[in-house]
Amino acid sequence: MRKVLFLSPLDNIAVCLSDIAAGEMISQEGREVTAIEHIPRGHKISIRGILKSEGVIKYGERMGHATTDIPVGAHVHTHNVLGDRLSTEQV
Amino acid sequence: MSLPEILGFGHSGRGVGVRDHQLILPSVVCSTRVSRRIAAEVGAVTFAHQHGCGIIGIDVAGIDDFFVDLASHPNVGSVLIVSLGCETIQGNELCAKIARFNPSTQYIVIQESGGVEGAVAKGILLARVLASQFKPSRQRIEELVVGIDFSRQIADPRALVDALAKQGITCISADQIHGCAKNFSTLMAQKAQVILSFTSENQPPTGFALIPVINVASASPLHNAIMGEFDLKSDATSEEIAALILKVASGAKTISEANQSGEIVAPRAVRSV
Amino acid sequence: MSAPQLLGYPRSDGRWGFRNHILLLPLHQALCNTAREIENSVFSAVAVSHDWSGEIDSDFERIAKVFAGIANNPNNFSTIFLTIGTETETKIIERSRVLGATPLHVLSLSDSGSMAHLLTSAIALASQLKEAANKESRVLAPVSAIVLGLECGGSDAYSGITANPALGLASDRLVELGATSILGETMEILGSEHLLAARALNPAVGQQIIDLVARYERSINYEGIDIRGAQPSRGNIEGGLSTLEEKSLGAAKKAGSAPFTGVLEYADHPTAPGLYFMDTPGHDIEQLTGFAAAGVNIAVFTTGRGTPTGSTVIPTIKVATNTQMGSVLADLIDLNAGTIADGSQSLEEVGSLIFDKIIEVANGRQTKAELGAHHEFNLSRLYGSTL
Repeated sequence: MRKVLFLSPLDNIAVCLSDIAAGEMISQEGREVTAIEHIPRGHKISIRGILKSEGVIKYGERMGHATTDIPVGAHVHTHNVLGDRLSTEQV
Repeated sequence: MSLPEILGFGHSGRGVGVRDHQLILPSVVCSTRVSRRIAAEVGAVTFAHQHGCGIIGIDVAGIDDFFVDLASHPNVGSVLIVSLGCETIQGNELCAKIARFNPSTQYIVIQESGGVEGAVAKGILLARVLASQFKPSRQRIEELVVGIDFSRQIADPRALVDALAKQGITCISADQIHGCAKNFSTLMAQKAQVILSFTSENQPPTGFALIPVINVASASPLHNAIMGEFDLKSDATSEEIAALILKVASGAKTISEANQSGEIVAPRAVRSV
Repeated sequence: MSAPQLLGYPRSDGRWGFRNHILLLPLHQALCNTAREIENSVFSAVAVSHDWSGEIDSDFERIAKVFAGIANNPNNFSTIFLTIGTETETKIIERSRVLGATPLHVLSLSDSGSMAHLLTSAIALASQLKEAANKESRVLAPVSAIVLGLECGGSDAYSGITANPALGLASDRLVELGATSILGETMEILGSEHLLAARALNPAVGQQIIDLVARYERSINYEGIDIRGAQPSRGNIEGGLSTLEEKSLGAAKKAGSAPFTGVLEYADHPTAPGLYFMDTPGHDIEQLTGFAAAGVNIAVFTTGRGTPTGSTVIPTIKVATNTQMGSVLADLIDLNAGTIADGSQSLEEVGSLIFDKIIEVANGRQTKAELGAHHEFNLSRLYGSTL
């Protein structure tokens, strides 16, 4: 069974289809990525390095930006991503 | 002259109730039906509302506070919160906030109970366990606070308040601009155990699920057409009003209470997102 | 593509109903319990509960439109208004009469003289109407009879991958066959509105979509609130959604890839078949209420976390986005789309199952929400008028 879902070739994240343990290697559809931390089912794993302020891309579309440098294999979520819209905060 | 007494329910730290309601509190609109089924089964009080999710800004704390006020009202014995699970107002957090004032509080979560039937079964069991440990006892009249809804102007409000004070009845009031349903919520938050409502000439009498409401008619055509729905006629004297307040405070049902009429209005400042 | 066999109740204004409700609509909060008592004693009657006391304030127009609209939903065989007997109520009822062909009945408290009489006469009337409704039978309906509402609630990271795109396929097929489909939840297209606008039938409609989202964004920013504190909701975040845009990109997939025919204000009726966007809150029940007032006669509600809710008058099909929730909360869920992520069914297969389920439910099969009598109603307000 697939462990992750690659949604678009433009994406820098993949969606985990089950809990992924730290150190677990995912080898699927000709790609390889090693999780550097635990990532819960349904959450996102970075499949490329994402620099601070760079866009996080899902479905081939920008869903927000990184608030810190995100290495490959990291849990990508509210602790390191922020939406671009509807904010009183200036980035 | 010795002051009269009432038959009430003493709750340490949150006053004396004139009713012993069990409140089944849906923390979000989505758990309305599950709450109704539990309430119907155990004979508790519940109500439909549209809050708890899709709320932002000051409304998040505002709705939370409103639920805490309802659940810690002295007319409430125990509380069962029925949470869906993914809403803004979380059942476990709300439960902890309420329990500081009313320790007889528990919660269930539909999404963690295997669905509707699981939640209803679990809720009924919990509600039965929670159901009243409280027995009525004689209480000093000083424990009673009557909230007066002045949705319409009456000839001499001061004289009424003074006359009630002579009987040992403490009054608080909410004024005419907001309409009686909103006034009831305001008076609830101030812990009135009985409400005396002078509703507008063009409004029907109505009630509030946790608090007995005594409705006093005006001489308007609408009120004349439905006179039987009022507890007191427009010419009721202060003595008649005081006598009925004492009866109701000791357990006599008002007409709106028997009809179970009136929904609960929660204050909201911001639109739903 | 062959058209399925669809059976419904033709209404004299050309619309179709897939249910034959007797709707009890109290126009004052003091009468809601009476409405519920009638519902409890007359099978197939449905009652609305709300907290409005006849106030005429900034939200009155929106409230009147919802009452008038829901009274006229084509799924109603007939509507009984319970009133106090005021002029404001009469205006709402008149407005409803103009909207459509649903037979409207009015019982007022002041004419009845007491709550007890009102209850007795309403039960008698509802029973009489029920008998008449039972005599009607369904007839063959064209697919254009369907006015589908698209909704999602309690979304998770699977919503945009499984249930929403599968629903999008079903919606596309219905639109192609001449039906109407409506996407709502303005907040949940925020961040994906450029993609929807690009699919508009003409540039004017595209611009309307963009403008509507901008207006929404202003109405929230006006409050000085950083919505990112509340959206995505806590449940969404636990489910793996990190930003509003991410949620929106997934939510918009419910509307498939058909072109957008038009844009509707909250509770407005679509005038021709096609795919529409309606300005509604993301609040599930305020959205379903807006759909009901707009004449939607069947809805599909995708959910990641699971919710029992349904609409007062619209049969609402619940589709699970993930198998885990779909099996644990089976008594809330009509169909599981989680099989797409499991790899056991394709998007196309599940899209086809949703399409079949829509037809089956339209033809009379009860949804889980209907079986459990979960039929909520809310008045959507913009101006904090309950303060």
